[in-house]
Parts: sequence; C-alpha cells; structure tokens
Amino acid sequence: MFDKKIGIETSSKITWCLGCFNFQILDGIKKALKSKDLNEFAIAAGIGCHAKIFDYLNINGINTLHGRVLPACLGMKIGNPNLNVLGFAGDGDAYAEGIEHLVHAARYNADIKYFVHNNQVFALTVGQPTPTTEQGFKDKTTPLGVKVPPLNPIKLMLAAGASFVARVFADSKQVEWIAKEALKHKGFAFVEILQPCLIFHADAGYKEKIYMLDEKHDKTSLNQAMKKAEEFDYNIAKKIPLGIFYQVERETFEEQLPQVAELKKQKKSWKDINR
Amino acid sequence: MRFNVLFGGKAGQGPNILTHILGKILIERGFYVFYSRDYESVIRGGHNFNVLTFSNEPVHSNDSNIDILVALDEETVEIHRKDTKKETILLSGKEENMYFAGKLFKVLGFEFALLEKELKEIKKRFEENIREAKRGYDEANQTFKMENIHSAECKEKRIFKNGSMGIADGAINSGMDIYYAYPMTPATPILWELAEKQIEKNFLVLELENEIAVANAGIGSAITGAKTMVGTSGGGFDLMTEALSLTGIAGVPLVFYLSQRPGPATGMATYTGQGDMNIARHAGHGEFTRIVLAPGDAKECEELTSQAFYFSQKYKIPSIILSDKHISESFYTLDGKPRLTGSKKWTNFGRYNSYEKNSQGSSTENPEIVKRNVDDRNKKRIFIEQESEIFERFKIFGKKDSENVIVSWGSPKGAIIDAIKYGEIDAKFVQILYIEPFPKEIWNELLGKNIILVENNSTSPLNDLLKEKIGFNAPPKSIILRYDGRPFIRNELEIEIKKRLRK
Repeated sequence: MFDKKIGIETSSKITWCLGCFNFQILDGIKKALKSKDLNEFAIAAGIGCHAKIFDYLNINGINTLHGRVLPACLGMKIGNPNLNVLGFAGDGDAYAEGIEHLVHAARYNADIKYFVHNNQVFALTVGQPTPTTEQGFKDKTTPLGVKVPPLNPIKLMLAAGASFVARVFADSKQVEWIAKEALKHKGFAFVEILQPCLIFHADAGYKEKIYMLDEKHDKTSLNQAMKKAEEFDYNIAKKIPLGIFYQVERETFEEQLPQVAELKKQKKSWKDINR
Repeated sequence: MRFNVLFGGKAGQGPNILTHILGKILIERGFYVFYSRDYESVIRGGHNFNVLTFSNEPVHSNDSNIDILVALDEETVEIHRKDTKKETILLSGKEENMYFAGKLFKVLGFEFALLEKELKEIKKRFEENIREAKRGYDEANQTFKMENIHSAECKEKRIFKNGSMGIADGAINSGMDIYYAYPMTPATPILWELAEKQIEKNFLVLELENEIAVANAGIGSAITGAKTMVGTSGGGFDLMTEALSLTGIAGVPLVFYLSQRPGPATGMATYTGQGDMNIARHAGHGEFTRIVLAPGDAKECEELTSQAFYFSQKYKIPSIILSDKHISESFYTLDGKPRLTGSKKWTNFGRYNSYEKNSQGSSTENPEIVKRNVDDRNKKRIFIEQESEIFERFKIFGKKDSENVIVSWGSPKGAIIDAIKYGEIDAKFVQILYIEPFPKEIWNELLGKNIILVENNSTSPLNDLLKEKIGFNAPPKSIILRYDGRPFIRNELEIEIKKRLRK
C-alpha cells in the first residue's frame, strides 16, 4: 500500500518531450482525482509514451504489457469490485496489439474507465503508423506510405455496444471534464483523447477543426452517435466532433456475477474472504 | 487378478455413463477401479471407448486384453476383436446403453437394485432407463467368473475421481477465489468442475475472450490479493507466456494449470502426451523464478495444487501444474485423504510493474536498482529450493534395493507401478513430482544402477532434465517412449521394461 500522505505525486522525473500533450492529460486526470481517496482507485497502463503516466500517478495498480490494459483492469475490478479502475492506453495498445480486448470490454460493460491517448502514431518506437494513422503517412518502416484506411474507434465502440463513448482533445480542461463524467458513469467508459505528437505526428490542424457536441445531440441515440462519429474518419479532417457521443445505462459485468455483487455490497474484496 | 471391461461406441451413444456407473458400484463393493477414456474430436459418431480395469488390489492402469467387451455398435467389435480372447464375454447388439448396463450387472452377478439406485441418482429419463436396464438384466444368459477375486471389505469409503476433479478440489481446498479460462481440451473438464461448484463454495469462474485475456486478468486479480488460477493446454499456454513473464518480473502469485495433449500446434485435441515439460520450464522471456509440479494421479493433483498455491503466495511467483489428458480424464480410486498444504492470502495490492521498478513502483533504468531487482528475483529460487526440501519432491515405489531403476514423471506412473507389481519386475521406480525446483538428491537413487526412463513423448525431455540437473545421460536403448497420443498400457509396458532389465 502506498502512503496516503504522499498524495498523488511520485518522485519520478517526467520524461515526456517538452510541450508534449501528455502533460495536459496528466494534469487533467490529477485535477479530476483531486480530493478523492486514492486508496479507492486502481490504475493500469500499457506500453508507449502514454504509459509513463503510471509512473507519475501514485496510485496502486499495474504498468502492464503492451495491449493488455483492459484485461488487467478487468482482473483488478473482479478482484476488488470496490476499486474505481482507470485504464490508460495508447492507440497501439488499444487498436493494434490489444483490439480484441477493446471489443469485448465494450460487450462486458465492467465498470472501467478507459482513456486512449491517440496520437495516431507509435511514438516511443520512433514513429511507425498505427491503425488510426492517416493514408499516405510515411516513415522509415513505411516508405511507400500507409495504403489502408484508418480505423474509426468511435464507430467500433458504438457497434460493439459500449455504454459510454466519448472523444476529447488533449487539453487539461477537457480531460478533467470527461474524466469526471466517465467516473460518474456506471459501466465501461471509452474515452479517446486526440493527442498530437510533436515529434512524429504533429498537429494536423485539429485545433481549428474540433467542436463540442451541443445539447441538441441526443446521447441516447445510437443513430445520432453513428452519424456524428462519421464526421471524422481519422484520415482527412474537416470537422472533428468532441464530447460524449453516446451514453446509456445498462447492467455492469460485475453486477451480473452474484459472488462479486455480494462482495461489493459488503464492501469487501476477495482478499477479505477467509476460508 | 485384474479384469478389464471395454465399453465402445459412437460419440453420443453414452459409453461414458455406463463406464462410470460400473466404476462407482465396483468401488462401493470394495474393489479398486481405474478407467481411461479414448475419444475422437467429434460430437456425434466416430469411435469412442473406455477401458475400466478393476481388482481387489490397487490398480492405476489398463491392460490390452479385454475380459468383457460391451459394444454399442458393430465397429467396436471389429476394432477391439484383436484384444479379446476365447473367454471374453461379448455384449453387443442393436440396443441402447442402459440395456447393456442391465445385462452387464447380471453377468457380473450384481443385484439389480444397485443399478436402480444409480439410475435414480441420474434422474434423467429414469422410467425409460429402468425399463431398458431391466430388460437387459433379464435377457442376460452369461456369467462372468471372477476367479479368486472377492470384493475386499474396505473400512473407509474410497473416493473415485479423475485428475481434473483432483485439481479442482485442490484449488477449492486451497482457498482459490478466482479461476479464469478459455475452453481447451483437455483443460476443459476442470472448468466444468469448478463452474458447477462456484456458488456453493463462493468462488468465481470466468471465461474470457482468449488465453491472453485470461492470463492478464488473472494477474489483475492476483495483485489485489485474490487467490487466482488460470488453466489451459499447450496452445493456450503459448498465448499466456508473455503474461507468465510479467508474473516473473512483477512478482505476481498466479497458478497456471497446464494439461498437456500432443502437439505441435493443434496436434490431437483429445489424446494424451507429455511434450510440454520444456515450455513449462522455459516459456516466457527473461530470467525469473517459477515452480513446475507434475502430478501422476488424481490424489497428487489435489496435493500438488495446494503446494502450487503455497509457493505462489509465499514467494510471489508463478506456479505451473503440469498435467496431461490421461490424468485429467482418467478416474482413479483414492485410498485415504490427500494431504494438503495450507496457504494464507499473503499478497497485498500495491504498485506492480512490467518494467524494472523503484521503491515507489515506478519504472526505472537505474543500474543499481535493476541489479538489486534481478538479484531479488533470483534469490527466490534459492529460498524455494531450500524450503521445497520438506516436500515430497519425488517418490519411490517397487523394490527399494533393486539394481534396476525406472525413472518417470506424470501420467506413466500408473502403468509403471502396475507393471512392476503384476509383472513381478525386479525394479525400483522413482517418480519425479518437482520438475522445478528439481530434487538433486535423486542422484543417490540412480548412481550405478541400470536406469530405464519412461515417457509419453518422442524426445525424452526427462533425459535432458537429468542431464542438466545431475549430469546423468541415459542411453537411447534405456528410454521407453510412446508418442502416438495413447497412454501406456500395463502389459505392453511390462514387456518393454523386462527387455531392459539388468539380470
């Protein structure tokens, strides 16, 4: 157990590039967790630039393997259903190496908040294309350019049955807002954070194209959400809608498991069960 | 005397229920019973058969010569005719399985009431089953002479279970909280066992999207302090190996159940083999400490599972229970209760890392810290080796001072013990239960002796293990290998062993 008095900070030196948008995400998450009892939280991160967030948040959990953030989160939630579980992943983790877990996490609807830092590039391995990189992108491994169209994760999540689907820009205020909204949601919350990479996938003018979904958008309408999701195909950006595309309430994975539901009711974890 | 009853038929005709009913009743009457299952990877049709061997003395294997052949279809008679003799009683014809149950009971001289009681317990199709069984019982006109064999009066009730039930009971009695799996033969029967008991015993069984999710969710739960186990066969274990490596660096107490079948790749789904000792020992990149335990029957499955939980919890390491299809699906008669090792929930939630970590659990590349972490991981091996000395890491059977020493591990145990006993072979048998940490003192048992190795694979990883650990190398002619997916048969193995004895 970490010492509560230490607070959310760790003594690790932050090694993101100067001005990296990951600073915005870290700041937003810290603000969203301000005044919370961190002992009630658990975090998991994958592998890549995003994953350094694990080192900078003094919260129990696991800095796990590439692509395996969601099973780690599920395991922690099942192990102790009283924990608020937050997962952090890159687009490589979420959409390439571990995409099968993403689809099933949406189905399961376990009470997990999942933040995908999507910089549309493998940054820590110095700049290869990921499943959300635009066509034509070139690097040393892909000199002929990316040929296949990118994946639209918002559409994928809507189709897979996620109960909370959102996208924000890597701006501290937006991240804080959406993290608070996600924490209020009961069930699997999919949050994509569009995050330019200053070195390998510079700002493609997203800041001028983003706009927030307003109150006219019906969050409970799958049709409307799909239409909004189609406005940006991760290839050519004209308009990029941000905000909560879709949010409905349905029974969580752990509520449907009587053994786990009972633990939650008694505010216990499996570790407290003496046999 | 040992008697063998073969039940054969197409998948779906129900030879299993027949076999099990007879086994249970024989045990209740004080006999020892062993039965194995041979089935193809088909849902309906094909040729499946079970061989049930019983005696008034302990039995752990089957013989190839059949005393009673129960054929639910014509093909069974054709295929198994070679294993019959003049006196073999053949029960065949176009009838359903319960008709044969009745007939068999009459042939064996059992009262019909015994069968009626069993059919009542099954409940399903009771009226129909009892009518068929009664007709079979009344129409039977042969009598099986069980010469010199009478059911021994047994004081305590003997238990009848397969290896999967042994693993499941071992896990439950070790206080397991969560079992994650993805279905794969022959690891699926334990999933059934556990799933059925989860509510009554208050633990959780979950099937996830694949073995990668299974192992990684297992890690997530284990670090919260839950006693957690995952289970699979070779192919699924391959998928889990990156997570296995993670348990090594992060110090996660996760128990892996690995039930072998023949490989490589899909190999043969429903047959047996021991080709995976090396993946159990070496899978996962990097250097880390693990234990690998190899039970040889259902009782050892239970005992070693409790030891796997003990070492995992105490030392925060992965434990691998290495079984196979023959143990997982064969039924053994247990004399006496297994001796289990208790373990507490010694794991606390904290900051775990797949990277090298500092005292706060954050990633580090500091050379001094990294070296210390590596040393800590390696020290576990030394501590475990020392502590494991108080456990029964190997067993000795047969003639203790014999010049001939048979060495094996896992499922061949049953056929070896029975071959020595019923073939009156002058040999000692050393069964290795701890593959890692290896009991180096078995060197004393082998020194200067005529060594015979027995394994259900084609390359003898056991010989490599002995070479690596104690510098021992068996010549090829001293190694008995079977690698057609079938288990060792007692009388066939007896001949092979006898060819290699030092006179």
